[in-house]
Amino acid sequence: MQDSIIKFENITMQFPGVLANDNVSFDIKQGEVFALVGENGAGKSTLMNVLYGINTPTAGNVYIKGKKMEKFHPSEAIACGVGMVHQHFMLVPSFTVAQNIALSKEPRKSKIFYDLKAAEKATSDLVEDYGLVVDPKAVVEEISVGLQQRVEILKTLYRGADILILDEPTAVLTPQETEELFDVIRRIVKEKNMTVIIITHKLNEVMAISDRVGVMRKGKLVGVENTKDVNERILASMMVGRDVLLGKVNKTGTPGDVKIEVKDLHVTDNRGLLAVKGVDLNVRAGEILGVAAIEGNGQSELLEAITGLRDIEAGEVYIEGTKINGMDPGQIRHLGLAHIPEDRIATGVSVQSDITDNLIIGKETRPEFSKYKLQLKKSTIVRYANEIFEKFDMRGAGVDTKVGSLSGGNMQKVVVAREFSFNTPVLIIAQPTRGVDVGAIEFIHQCIIDKRNEGCAIILVSADLDEVFRLSDRIITMYEGKITGEFAEGEIDKMGISYYMTGDRSNEAGGEA
Amino acid sequence: MWEQITALFTVGLFQNTIRNATPVILAALGGLFTEHAGIMNIGMEGMILGGAFVAVVFSFTFASAPMGVLFAVLIGIIIGLFFALFVVKLKSDEFIIGMTLNTFSAGLTVYLLRTVFHQTGSWVSTDIKGLPPIDIPVIKDIPLLGDILSGYSIFVYISWVLVFLVWVFLYRTPYGFWMRASGEHPEALETAGIDPVKMKVLSSVLCGIFCGLSGAHLALGYLNCFAEGMSASRGFIAFACVVFGMANPPKVFGAALLFGFLQALAIRLQSVGIPSDLTEAVPYLATVLMLVYITVRGANKKRNRAKKAMAVQAAEEG
Amino acid sequence: MKFLNKIDKKYVLTLIICIFVALLCGAFIMLATGFNPIEAYATIIEGAIGKPRLLGNTIEKFMTLCLLGLATAIGAKGGLFNVGGEGQLFFGALASTMVGLTLSSLPAPIVILLAFLTAVVVGGFYAWIPAMLKVKLNVSEIITTIMLNTVAIKVVTYLVNGPWVSSSPAVSKGTDYLPDKLAFTKLIAASNLSTGFIFGAILTFLIWYFMKMTTVGLQMKLTGENPRFARFSGLKSDKIMVGSMVASGAICGFVGMTLVYGYNGQMVDTISSDYYFDGMLVAMIMNYNPIGIVIMSVFFAILNTGANMIDMTMGISSQIYDIIFSVLIFLMAANKGFIEWFNQSQAKKKARAIAKEKAGKEGI
Repeated sequence: MQDSIIKFENITMQFPGVLANDNVSFDIKQGEVFALVGENGAGKSTLMNVLYGINTPTAGNVYIKGKKMEKFHPSEAIACGVGMVHQHFMLVPSFTVAQNIALSKEPRKSKIFYDLKAAEKATSDLVEDYGLVVDPKAVVEEISVGLQQRVEILKTLYRGADILILDEPTAVLTPQETEELFDVIRRIVKEKNMTVIIITHKLNEVMAISDRVGVMRKGKLVGVENTKDVNERILASMMVGRDVLLGKVNKTGTPGDVKIEVKDLHVTDNRGLLAVKGVDLNVRAGEILGVAAIEGNGQSELLEAITGLRDIEAGEVYIEGTKINGMDPGQIRHLGLAHIPEDRIATGVSVQSDITDNLIIGKETRPEFSKYKLQLKKSTIVRYANEIFEKFDMRGAGVDTKVGSLSGGNMQKVVVAREFSFNTPVLIIAQPTRGVDVGAIEFIHQCIIDKRNEGCAIILVSADLDEVFRLSDRIITMYEGKITGEFAEGEIDKMGISYYMTGDRSNEAGGEA
Repeated sequence: MWEQITALFTVGLFQNTIRNATPVILAALGGLFTEHAGIMNIGMEGMILGGAFVAVVFSFTFASAPMGVLFAVLIGIIIGLFFALFVVKLKSDEFIIGMTLNTFSAGLTVYLLRTVFHQTGSWVSTDIKGLPPIDIPVIKDIPLLGDILSGYSIFVYISWVLVFLVWVFLYRTPYGFWMRASGEHPEALETAGIDPVKMKVLSSVLCGIFCGLSGAHLALGYLNCFAEGMSASRGFIAFACVVFGMANPPKVFGAALLFGFLQALAIRLQSVGIPSDLTEAVPYLATVLMLVYITVRGANKKRNRAKKAMAVQAAEEG
Repeated sequence: MKFLNKIDKKYVLTLIICIFVALLCGAFIMLATGFNPIEAYATIIEGAIGKPRLLGNTIEKFMTLCLLGLATAIGAKGGLFNVGGEGQLFFGALASTMVGLTLSSLPAPIVILLAFLTAVVVGGFYAWIPAMLKVKLNVSEIITTIMLNTVAIKVVTYLVNGPWVSSSPAVSKGTDYLPDKLAFTKLIAASNLSTGFIFGAILTFLIWYFMKMTTVGLQMKLTGENPRFARFSGLKSDKIMVGSMVASGAICGFVGMTLVYGYNGQMVDTISSDYYFDGMLVAMIMNYNPIGIVIMSVFFAILNTGANMIDMTMGISSQIYDIIFSVLIFLMAANKGFIEWFNQSQAKKKARAIAKEKAGKEGI
């Protein structure tokens, strides 16, 4: 049990513009369940992709069972007994369970023919051996997500894996399925002496399943602890680190009328599963409501539902007193809402168009910019674009620069400039400073505070907790589609709140300290 | 009226059905590979034409039909590699490359025909050796059936066997599974340790070979000549057959036979005063309707699955 | 001068190099088949602009290519790919011819106006079908438009040789000829160039104006570039996509009319031989940029009419035009793919260099 089976030695992984792993070293022991935790972008998945040979590290070494990795190709890792279950399943939808499990290692008849019977037999043998019940003949696209995950695990076992990497395995599972998965993990570790590495955000799961836990933050390894020596609060604070001292922002005024009201909202995600499960909230004029949540806990779907980009399954949303159920984004904007989306390249801009076009869209039919809502007043538009360009201090070649060639910060300024200049009473803001340089962050924060002081009702979603704390008047935490806590400004700190972001704490009010 | 209808169904009608269908069957079987590997292959027209031209040139040069076929296969491989270079390696738009391949092939074959071989329109010569018709023993003596099934060039029979072989390849060999995985979920194949790019290139080359055979049959099967634009939309018909047959070899074979039958019938119907152009338009219209059906069915399937998943989720969470 | 700054210089440079290489390939093929390429290219230019009649034909060809290229561009800018222009052209041409023939007793301007409206509506409608299938049911518009092309051509072939075939013994095939008063006046005698060119030029200007200078053009462009962004910004992206496709079909319908009223005089089943595909390829080469399409159409119109001349005088098959055309597209595609591949490997190298530098500093 105490033998080291995997050794990471000074792993550094540099992507263009991002240092994903920074000199990471630690060991994983034979026969343990090792949990790797950290916020989004902490570098967990990158590190595991190095282990599995998908990424070649820019520096450092990996040893599996004492053997130094040379090629960094999945086949090398597989040969060493490493199996990985990716967050997005690597299953061919139209193939059966057995065909997926055997893919690339098919049993053969007379050298060239696929022995389908043998593949099914091998699958049912594995099913019996490990107790992972699934029908070998079922077509993968027709079975549940939980079963698909079993197929993924069986796939690694079929390839002879004794080291299993699970990348956020419970993100797609129901509580029932999660419980079943943990039973499987416990069993294979105990009975088959396997080693399991599990990547997760959910600290209750870390406590429930792991022997040891490694915490990562911003590409660095913060520490490795025995799970029994720590609790969720300690882990949560290790994950987020200490408060970063940002300059105080100057908030003025008092909250006014309710501008945004959400009642018992239910929304589904792209897979058709419920992502928002009964959220109630309201935001007043002159108030910023911060939403703190780890990615994938329903906050994106919440914002998309409020802005009309996603259908509402149940519940109601009111903007300025008007019910928006069934409206399209254009109609909702018309009620007085502007929106900074979380992914600016996919949703917030057209990278092939120049700054002017990106700034003017949404305003083009206003009388000051077009005659009869048709003929564009080009010179006025260019003048307007230049004005905004200077006001928001975008440093580029000029307003005719293609947005795609701008830096992240300047691109985000284009989005902020366009949305803020609608002068709407309601603002929905997601990840306003993701991938933005420090100077631009300060600028964008000031813009948001100015809007608040002018009397806007603002919802702010950010993965950056320092940002949420700096700007918000109130903070709610979301976990698995539900609100798990609400705090007034100054009532809680970063380390405290991370506890509410990493699990449902409603049953343990005032429990462990 | 009844007599008129029965008069349509002559031995000739079925012979023509098979003649019309064979080049389409061969090309469509090729199109199956690329379709399964996730490539929208609109360039089969050009591949067939290239195969037909090369088959005639080398049959003429060596005064040997097998040499013509051999070189048609070789050019098929070259065109397939060329197509894969752009579509798979350089990730160019498959539609643009396919269309351009058609234009290039049509242009180059006519150019060479006119400037090198000094023929305009079509090239007929006794030196262009065709493939001899083959009589199937036993069957040829059965009345009616013998006339319908026997006495074609070898390619007709090869195409029937190939339907089965392609099915075996796609559904009964590991390589077929890899090829289908490379189109459906390339990352799944890659993480399993097999390069999807290789499978895509292979599909393109196989498609080139099959289209080369299709062209060789077209030119040497029973006419023994090359005509400008002789592929005459067969590449597009083959593409339509792949869509219509939902990329399943027997179904695609059926679709190609249906197309061939409609074409043969169209000519017959003309004698009864029903215009052939209208009957020929039917398969294309049917393909559009089939595509709508397939797409809508796929979307419904997905929606139902999501609904089911949500019900399970709701039940578990109370 | 400001206009010049907006041009993507790198793109223009690669385009010029690719054109040069494509012409070289053409020269090589001609050389290999025993012709003098220099003489051939000289003859092409002479055959395209050497005589007023030839110049007229070239200008007419230019207009057709240019309008059809713009039709592709409008669809593509709105986010849908119209491959069915050939079918829309056939239907537009047929519909306008029948209007002309049945209403020939009315005053010419009224008939022409009605014929124009019919051509545009019919062409637009035939593009509306695949557009709706795409937007409502997500059925690939590329495949449906390809299939609908053949359907249209077959149906038109049937009609012009069947119910609507000319009864006059003087007409060998196709419909009756339009009365003279309806035919567009020739701008250059004996050439294909007629007043249809003026209509075409006006339409070209309007298309450019529409795409560049109006709110709808702006909305269309952004929808085509990023449909999600368009929806996010509150645009009715579905309507815009369908609208752009219908506009594309309408232009094709109009081109069909000019082919009949401009010089053919009657409707036949060979009214266009893949003209739309030529226009489409021009649009693709120029990345759907309207001004680029206009310029590139000049080049290909010269090559096209000139190719007929080398066919007649030197015996070089005019298909050399198709060859040069397709080689150019292959080169552009290869260039694009190569640049992307190159950029990716550069980015990787850069990342490694940064890591090395960093590692060096930290003394690993």
